[in-house]
Amino acid sequence: MSLWETIKSAWQSIFANKMRSSLTMLGIVIGVCAVVLLVSIGQGFQTSMTTTFNNMGASALYVSGSRSKTVTIVRPLTMDDAEALTNKKLAPSISVVSPSMQSNVTVQYGTNSATVQASGVTPVVTQIKNYQIDKGRFLTDLDGENKLSVIVLGYQTTQDLFGTESPIGKYVRVAGGKFQVIGTLQKLGGMGGDSYILMPLATMQARITGGTDLQQIAVKASSSDLVDLAIAEITAILRARHYIATGAADDFQITDMRETLTSMQSTLQTFSLFMGAVGAISLVVGGIGIMNIMLVSVTERTREIGIRKAIGARRRDILLQFLIEAAALSLTGGLVGLLLAVGGAALMGHITLGSLSVKPEISGTIVLIALSVSVATGLLSGTYPAFNAARLDPIESLRHE
Amino acid sequence: MIELQNVSKIYDLGEIKVTGLDDISFSCEEGEMISIMGPSGSGKSTMMNILGCLDRPTSGTYLLDGDNVSKLSDDQLARVRNKKLGFVFQSYNLLPKIDALANVELPLIYSGQDHRHERASKALEAVGIAQRANHLPAEMSGGEKQRVAIARALINDPRVILADEPTGNLDTATSHSIMDLLTDLNKKGITVVIVTHEEDIATYTQRTIYVRDGKITEEKRR
Repeated sequence: MSLWETIKSAWQSIFANKMRSSLTMLGIVIGVCAVVLLVSIGQGFQTSMTTTFNNMGASALYVSGSRSKTVTIVRPLTMDDAEALTNKKLAPSISVVSPSMQSNVTVQYGTNSATVQASGVTPVVTQIKNYQIDKGRFLTDLDGENKLSVIVLGYQTTQDLFGTESPIGKYVRVAGGKFQVIGTLQKLGGMGGDSYILMPLATMQARITGGTDLQQIAVKASSSDLVDLAIAEITAILRARHYIATGAADDFQITDMRETLTSMQSTLQTFSLFMGAVGAISLVVGGIGIMNIMLVSVTERTREIGIRKAIGARRRDILLQFLIEAAALSLTGGLVGLLLAVGGAALMGHITLGSLSVKPEISGTIVLIALSVSVATGLLSGTYPAFNAARLDPIESLRHE
Repeated sequence: MIELQNVSKIYDLGEIKVTGLDDISFSCEEGEMISIMGPSGSGKSTMMNILGCLDRPTSGTYLLDGDNVSKLSDDQLARVRNKKLGFVFQSYNLLPKIDALANVELPLIYSGQDHRHERASKALEAVGIAQRANHLPAEMSGGEKQRVAIARALINDPRVILADEPTGNLDTATSHSIMDLLTDLNKKGITVVIVTHEEDIATYTQRTIYVRDGKITEEKRR
């Protein structure tokens, strides 16, 4: 019997028992759907995370006030601290120092308003973060020196406030004060979102937060192998400036983005593995379901097997018939599961939770794996029943009612 | 065509051994039409199974068409059944979920042959049931089902047709028409062996062998 004939007759048999076949497939459908969807979400998450980190400046060190509860006195970071880090003699391994101050503000234009994060920054911020001018211009040193009330809008904020209108040169209200829009930025994507505004650091301190304190200093090492040295230099300089006694804890903290990225990636990998295991369990359960039904089917069709043997079917013809039937059942389940996963992924791509939007990515590899795993499950669980069928004695089988 | 030489079949049921056939020898010429009769438990079914290559003798030799088939493997026997033998059963043994045409095609599938539709249609025509080709077995009468079964038995141009109580489930008129059909096939040169317990069915055949307790007790020529 040719393989094609066997496949055809397997289909006939599956279709002859629609209800039973669909219920049997359900385990595989759920298993494949779960595996594909979860892996795709993991993949989408990974991509989104990588984008985010690249935008944030994955090679940067972030210095901020210590949040440790054991440190009782925390001197805020100041412009002078930032200035000190630029000293080439004390900090030869540091190439970029980008101080910043953040505050949540309400921005209004006409009847439109949005609550966004305002960052006071200096022009060097572009060497840390991936800000790309869309229209107009970016902030300059001169803007800061003159404490000009100018702002640059993030992509989403531009959309929210102005829609299709051109924002350049327009005046908006930020925390009650009047600011002129001098530029808009391109979409960043990732998890950070695009709802933010930028203004000169000096303007921010003068008009919104007051004082000369900083929230954060982003620092970039001259090269990637000087990061550890840069951390040591920052620590030495800030400890001296903050009068921290030998042995006492730092009153600031330095976050290495690469470490954060690595730890997040490993968390994500564990998550993916766990989800994969959940899916795998349901595939195993599905496989057992198929084996069960195939065993029932062999018993029910004992007479059919006897007839087929009487008219010339060999052992391997019968074996193949039941194996292919199990595989076809399982593969069909796999295809249905895959379709559901594709549909689910498309649906999820449209859902945004706050600034978090993850687009699941279904790769060719996972599709291939899912389908071959479902065929393998079918073959595996079909083997025992198929051997039982092939072994049947034709005389006994023909007598079977 | 068929020759049994000192064939015995002993069923080993662990503690006891049951003798199915006890040193039977008989032969059947090519083109002959014979019947085998005997009460239930006489060994006629065992004989039919061995003649049909569904079973092997415990001892002795079975020559089918000149070949010794008594020591063949399961798969080799399957091949012989497919190529040289055609089966007709009391309960028709058609596959219930496929139509008459597909049932008749089945042996061709297992022998891997082409033009199956055409050949199956011709076989159905030859047994006078072409108009029922696309009906399921459940939609047919007993006589029609038996004709489909005969078409299936004929499809691979067998040398021998083995019929096990072919009229057992049929009324008298239909029984006779089925026997007429088998007689026609025999006239075309196919050897026919019929197992029956009805004397008037046996009268269709040229020779009747009576079996009892695993032995041939009597042979009657007509």
